[in-house]
Amino acid sequence: MENHAHCDCCLTRRQCLKFAGSAAMTTGLVGKALEPTFGQAKPAAATDYVPVETLRPSPAVRITGAIMQMPRPYWLGWPGTTYDLDRFQKLYRSQAAASAKKLGIALDMLADPIQDEQGYAALVKRVKDQKPDALQIIIQHMNCWGWADRLSRDVGVPLLIFSPIGTSFTGHVIGLSRRPGVLIASTLEWAGVEAGFRMVRAKRLFEESRILWIHGNQRGETVLDHLGTKVRQIPRDTFNKYFATVPVSAEVKDVAADGRRHAKKIVEPTPDDSLNSARAYVTAKHLLREEKANALSMDCLGMVGAKLVPTPPCFAWTRLQDEGITAGCEADLFGATSLMLTSYLLGRPSYMNDPVAETHKNLLIVSHCTSGTRIAGFDMPPAPYVLRNHSESALGVSTQVLWPKGEPVTLVRFTGPGELIVDTGRVVSNVETPPAGGCRTSVELAMDDIEDCRDVMGFHQCVTLGNHKREVESWAQLYGLRVVHSPRYAPQPAEAAA
Amino acid sequence: MIRRMALVMGLAALFGWMAMDRMDGMGQAKSVEFGSPASPPSRMDADGSILEDWGKLAFTITGEGLAAAGPVSVEGTKLEGIVPAAVARAKRGPLEITTTAFRSPTYPAGTDVVTLAIKNTSGAPASARLGLPLPDGARVGRRTVMWGGRVILTLPMPIEVDAQKREWGSDDDSTPMPGWSRPDVECDPAFRNIRAGMNGVPIVYKFSVPNGSSHDVVLGLCESHWESSGMRPVVLKVEGCPALTVDPLAKWGRHKPGALLFAAKDENGDGTLVVSALPSPGAPDPNPILNAIWLFPAGTSPNLEQVVLGRMNAVATRMADVGGENDQSLYLPGKAEYNIAIPANGVVELTFFVGAAGGSAPMPGKSAWTLDTLRKAAVEVNRDWKEK
Repeated sequence: MENHAHCDCCLTRRQCLKFAGSAAMTTGLVGKALEPTFGQAKPAAATDYVPVETLRPSPAVRITGAIMQMPRPYWLGWPGTTYDLDRFQKLYRSQAAASAKKLGIALDMLADPIQDEQGYAALVKRVKDQKPDALQIIIQHMNCWGWADRLSRDVGVPLLIFSPIGTSFTGHVIGLSRRPGVLIASTLEWAGVEAGFRMVRAKRLFEESRILWIHGNQRGETVLDHLGTKVRQIPRDTFNKYFATVPVSAEVKDVAADGRRHAKKIVEPTPDDSLNSARAYVTAKHLLREEKANALSMDCLGMVGAKLVPTPPCFAWTRLQDEGITAGCEADLFGATSLMLTSYLLGRPSYMNDPVAETHKNLLIVSHCTSGTRIAGFDMPPAPYVLRNHSESALGVSTQVLWPKGEPVTLVRFTGPGELIVDTGRVVSNVETPPAGGCRTSVELAMDDIEDCRDVMGFHQCVTLGNHKREVESWAQLYGLRVVHSPRYAPQPAEAAA
Repeated sequence: MIRRMALVMGLAALFGWMAMDRMDGMGQAKSVEFGSPASPPSRMDADGSILEDWGKLAFTITGEGLAAAGPVSVEGTKLEGIVPAAVARAKRGPLEITTTAFRSPTYPAGTDVVTLAIKNTSGAPASARLGLPLPDGARVGRRTVMWGGRVILTLPMPIEVDAQKREWGSDDDSTPMPGWSRPDVECDPAFRNIRAGMNGVPIVYKFSVPNGSSHDVVLGLCESHWESSGMRPVVLKVEGCPALTVDPLAKWGRHKPGALLFAAKDENGDGTLVVSALPSPGAPDPNPILNAIWLFPAGTSPNLEQVVLGRMNAVATRMADVGGENDQSLYLPGKAEYNIAIPANGVVELTFFVGAAGGSAPMPGKSAWTLDTLRKAAVEVNRDWKEK
C-alpha cells in the first residue's frame, strides 16, 4: 500500500487532497440545519471542517535492528562460503530502511554486525536502555540461533527475526517461531519481513488509540489490557444532540452527493436521507475530535429504536471505515477492536456481522448494514455498492456492498482484549434483501476447515477481504494474545465416554 | 533483596497503620480518596489502610526491635503531577515505610496499585515479617487472592500462607452463583446453585479420603441459560475415571437436573480425591458449570433418580452444594505473609495490584498489565480527561 507523503494514516493522496479541497469549500459556507433543535451543543464546533486524516492516530514507532553473523571468513556451515555477506547485508539494510520509511517507523539499525558475546551484551543493554517497540535481527549464519533464542528472553521487547533462506533449518525455527513475543520470517520474500514491521506499527496504533464508546448515560474512561487502547464512554444522547447542531454544510452536501454518485444503484434513500447520513458522518468526526478519539462504537440500534435521530448512522460508518477510522455498531466494544485490527494491521476495513447458518447449502451468511467499500485496501478501488435503507427500521441510508465472488475472506473477532477468534472462508454470493430479511450487506461464505457452518464461533465477527490467517495469528503471538478457531468438526455428542 | 528469614523472633507488633489515634505531630492524619475519572474512588484511611468494596487492605509488620505501633501521616498527592494518589508514611525503628496507592483505569472497573517501600535507615541488615490479613472466604493462590469469584489481590511474588485446609472444598478460581439454576421439576435444592468457571477457569473440588480408596461419585448438573444444545458442553474429570464430556441441555433439557455416576479412586494415593468440571475445547460457551457433588462408599451404585431428588443424601459420605449455602473453600481464613530482608541502607519495594470498585485485579499469566503499563494508563487517562 502506498502512503502519501504528509501523513501516516494509510490513506491515499487522492483521498487526502479531496478532503483538503472539501475543507476549503466548506469554510464559510454553512448551510441550514435540517432539524436544529439543540442549539446549545457547541454549534460553532459543529460547523468547522474536521480533516478525517487527523483522526487516525500517528504514533511514534521505534525499532532497533541488528545483523547477526559469525566472524569471517565463513567456511562450511550455512549459508556457506559462497554466500556474499556484504552484498546481502547491504541489500537487507536497504530494504529495512525503505520499509521503515514507508511505514513511518524510526529504525535504529546498528552499524556493525553482532558477531561475539561482547556485541551481544551491548545489544541487550542498548535495547533495555532504549526500550524500542521491537528488536529486529537479521540472521546471517546458522550458529547465530543461540543468540536469537536468548534475545527472546533477555530483551523484553517483541523480537522480529529475519532468517533469509539458507540460514536455518526447520529445527531452528520450530520452537522459537511459536514462542510468544517472537516472529520469525524464514523467507526470501521481503514482504514477509515487512509484515513484522506492520505488526509492530499496528500494536502502536492500538496503544495510541482512544475508542469513543457511545452508550448509556455515563462518562468515564478505562484502558484495555493487552491492547493498551483507551475506551472513553460518553452518554448516548451526546450524539443526537450534536447531530441536531450540524447544518447542511458544503461538506455535508459533498459527502451526500459523493455517496449517491458512486452508487451502482439507489433503491430507497432519498436525497434528504443522504444529507442526514452525511450529517451523521460530520457529527462523528466532530465528536471524535472533541474527545481526542480515533475510533467509535455507538448504541445505534437503541438510538434508532428511541427515534432520537432521523437516520441510523450506517452510511456514515461505511464512509469512516473507508477512511481508516473504525466506526462500530451497537456499542459492541470488542467488535470495534476487531474492526481496528483489520484497519491497523491489514490496511483495510471490515464489517462486523450477524452470522446466519444457511443449512441447505452449508454456508455461513455474514450480514450487517455497515460494510466499508474499500475492502481490498484503503488505497484500492472500492467495491460496487447499492444504496439501501437500514433494513430493520426502513430509515436512512446503508450500503449493500457487493463482495467479489470466489475471493478469500478472514473473520476475526476479539472475545476480550486477550483472545481472538480467527477463521477463513471464501465468498460464494451476495444475498439480496428481499427475498432475505436481515441486513443489507449479506454475503454467503463457504468456510475453510469447518465442516459445518453452524459451528462457526462468535457473533459480530469482522469480515475482511483476503486470507490473513497467518498474519493475524503471528501478530497475536507477537503480543501474547490467544487465538482460537472454530472447530473443524461438529462438537462431540453429548457424552463422549462412559 | 528479599529472602526468607530462618527465624522470626520475639516481638510481634501490629503495624501502626491501624492506629488512628496516633498522630505524628507533623500534621493531622486524614483519609484520602483516590480514583480515576468518573469512577467510584477508593480511600486510604488515616491509619494508612485502604478501603475497598471487598474489605480493608491493611498490612501488618512484625519483627525484632520493631515498635508495636507508631504515628502515620497520610496525604494526597499527584503522581507525575497528574495521577491522584494517596501516600502513607510511617517510621518503625530503623524502617521507614511508605505506602503509595493510585487507581489505574483498567477496563472494566479499575485496579488500585499499591506499592509498599520499606527503607532500612540503619547500617545493619534488617528483617521483618509483612502480613496481609485476608477477608473471610479469601483463597490464596500462588500469585493471587481470590474472593467472591474475583481476584482481589495480585501478589508481587509467591506468598506463604498460614491457612489450614478443610476436609473438603473448592480449590479453584470459579465463581459461586447461588440461585442461578431454575430446575422446573422436583429435585434436591442444590440444583438451584452452581459454580461457574468464568473465562474458562476450571471448577475443582478436593476431598480428603483414605489413601488409595475408592468411591462412587455423583455429579449433578442443571443448565438454565442456553436454550439449544451444543453451547456449553462440560468436561467432567473425576480422579480414577476417564474424562467425560456432557452437554447437560442435550442430555436432560433446559432447567432439568441430571446426574452422572463415576467409579472414582484416589489413584495417586495422596489421600485427596479430585473432582473437576472443565471447559470443553472449542465450546461456544467456555464457562463450565457444576451444581452438586456426592461421594458414596464404593459399590453403593446409587439410583441416580433418587440422588437427583435428594433422597440419597443421608447415605452419602460427602455432599457438596456447589455454589450454595453449604459450599466452602478448601482453605480456612488466614493471613498471607512475607519474610522480608532489607539490606543495610537499602530499600525493598513490593507492589500489589488490587481489584477495585467491583472489578478484578490483573491475573498473572492471563493479563499483560505491568506496573509500568498500569501507571502509563493512569497518566494518559488523567491527562486527557475533561469533565462535562
